[in-house]
Amino acid sequence: MEYLVVSLMFIVFLQTRFMELRRATLCLAVQSALIAAACLVIGLSHGGGLHGWLPGLLTIAVKVLFIPYAILRTVKGLRDEREIVSDINVNYSTAVAACSLALGYMVIDGLLPQAEGRDILATSMFMIMTGLTLIVMRSRAIMQMIGLITMENGIYLLGLIMTEGLPLIIELGIFLDVLIAVVILVILTSRLRLSFRTTDTNVLDKLKG
Amino acid sequence: MLEYILLLLCLPPVCALLALTGMFSNNILHWLHRLTATAVGVSVGLMASKFNPAEPYMDDYFYVDALSLWVVIIITTLYVAASWTARSYLTREERCGVLKGEQLQTGRYFALMQFFCWTMFIVLLVKNLGLMWVAIEATTLISALLISFKFTRAALEATWKYIMVCTVGICLALLGTLVLYYAQLAALGSENALSWVYLHAHAEALDPALTKLALLFLVIGYGTKAGMAPMHTWLPDAYAEAPSLTSGMLSGALCSCAIYVLLRNLVILLPTAGSEMMSSMLLFFAVLTVAVAVPFVVVQRDVKRILAYSSMENIGIMVAGIGAFSALSIKAVMLHMYSHAMIKFVLFYIAGTIIQEYQTRNMMRIHGMIKDVPHTATFWLTGMLGILGLPPMGLFFSKFYIMSALFNEGHWLAGSLLIVLLAGVLIGILYHGMRMLCDNAKRQPLGDLLGAIDVPVLALLLVFTCIVGAGFENLPWLNNLLNHAVRVIGG
Repeated sequence: MEYLVVSLMFIVFLQTRFMELRRATLCLAVQSALIAAACLVIGLSHGGGLHGWLPGLLTIAVKVLFIPYAILRTVKGLRDEREIVSDINVNYSTAVAACSLALGYMVIDGLLPQAEGRDILATSMFMIMTGLTLIVMRSRAIMQMIGLITMENGIYLLGLIMTEGLPLIIELGIFLDVLIAVVILVILTSRLRLSFRTTDTNVLDKLKG
Repeated sequence: MLEYILLLLCLPPVCALLALTGMFSNNILHWLHRLTATAVGVSVGLMASKFNPAEPYMDDYFYVDALSLWVVIIITTLYVAASWTARSYLTREERCGVLKGEQLQTGRYFALMQFFCWTMFIVLLVKNLGLMWVAIEATTLISALLISFKFTRAALEATWKYIMVCTVGICLALLGTLVLYYAQLAALGSENALSWVYLHAHAEALDPALTKLALLFLVIGYGTKAGMAPMHTWLPDAYAEAPSLTSGMLSGALCSCAIYVLLRNLVILLPTAGSEMMSSMLLFFAVLTVAVAVPFVVVQRDVKRILAYSSMENIGIMVAGIGAFSALSIKAVMLHMYSHAMIKFVLFYIAGTIIQEYQTRNMMRIHGMIKDVPHTATFWLTGMLGILGLPPMGLFFSKFYIMSALFNEGHWLAGSLLIVLLAGVLIGILYHGMRMLCDNAKRQPLGDLLGAIDVPVLALLLVFTCIVGAGFENLPWLNNLLNHAVRVIGG
């Protein structure tokens, strides 16, 4: 578990460093793969069964394979695919990520002092907050999608540790929702590219008041 | 009972899939859409007549009590009204609306509309709070496609904001649901995971620290979906850029769904989290929501955005009613939900018609409606008076009861603030609305475009609100249903 925590923290920090969309997507795939590993380890240690391995396999199918594939396909269609931000902006989001890691530990110590697995709970809070930071601070549509999936992964991990996974039918529903959300966001991104010739959401500032 | 529930959940997706196949001409599609909605309406009617509010229906997955039946009735009424008016609206939209010169994809529109209503029915009928979350997220995704239906630049912008803000909000609600499940595991074990009935029966056993945390996340999460300030930023854009029929459904039906889910969760959390925290939090958000909406109503120029901000104002009033949490205020919230849904649907429909008639959304360029387009103007005036809460329309009574409950429960600060703010909304909407109706026309409309079938449907919706709002105490069946709904929430 310690290895998992350290590598998850590392990969999420790395996630905030990327400006290039393709590498960021691959990083997301690795992050989801770690979540899937955690899911399988925890599921099988609690006596296997359908509920033991199905969520893990679904995580691999949906979050490790399908979502990165769909995002990469969209990225291929973009001509100028580097995110237009300065290095300072990337450093800001890493700094915010570092703060949110500390904040994650504080939140967990304050709210659930006697909970087991303090490190991994703090990591999941860290992932949720970093996902939010990515959505707020990055302007590229695809980076915002990656932030959303990071946040979702964090919530999923939190649920996994705290409650050993929700009932199977609810988990299936959540997977379906994530799948549809990504399909719709990919459709919207390609429409953004057709209409605005960019996927930078800073151009979306016409509706006011 | 189960057969009606299954009918309710099977007909819309079947119709949607048939519409997606593209085998049918537009004419057949229109009738398919209408007949499906009417069949669903009839089965809801039969369900309501067989239903005894004192004995909720329950099985492994579904649960129907007075509260869910009431919201089902609201949504079904809008669904039937939207399907009967869809034909004339879409034909006009193709002839002189935003879709002019384009091939309208009627099949896609109907399929999305049916799926949208279907996901809302699932929200209302499932027993499990987790599945309720899944269904609410599904409504967000389906309605995103409805908002971006035209794929114009403005529609894309509105949809992107909608889906980002709402999905983040809904993720927080998932976090709240997880905390609730954790509290259940700690206190009651993993049997009947997240089942509303089970949790309701054992609500006192949950850990107060955890339920307070869950309350925080759930109010913020589902509040985002309902459009509470400061998480409302998606709302005016989405309501204004969606096709008008969709805006009416979003404002009337989806918002009622979000408030329904919030109520369901509150019932579980209140016994342990305590009503002081909930009251102060909800009243704060309610006053903030109305306060944010008022300036935008007063200086507004866009005919659909003014309605969107007026929706925010009504959401604020409903949330304040929940915050007051007495039997009177909860009953008034039920009535308010109904009247607001009906009147707002009519207003959005008429706003869409006005945009088609005058070829502009700018209210400053529309004058003299009462002379040039008398039918549309009549509905615009009646709807406006209705949404402002003037008697005899239903909103007058529900607003009055909510205000009186606020003062009765001792929330005089929130109550007086709300009254002042509501006066601001009244001035804003009346000023803009009356300017459009009177004055001398500088711009000639294309004609009175309201179709033959629109008039009775819209008039019926308005009359329903008068009857329900003013006469619910004289309708024994309705009064009984509402009383049981209040008892479910336990105000």
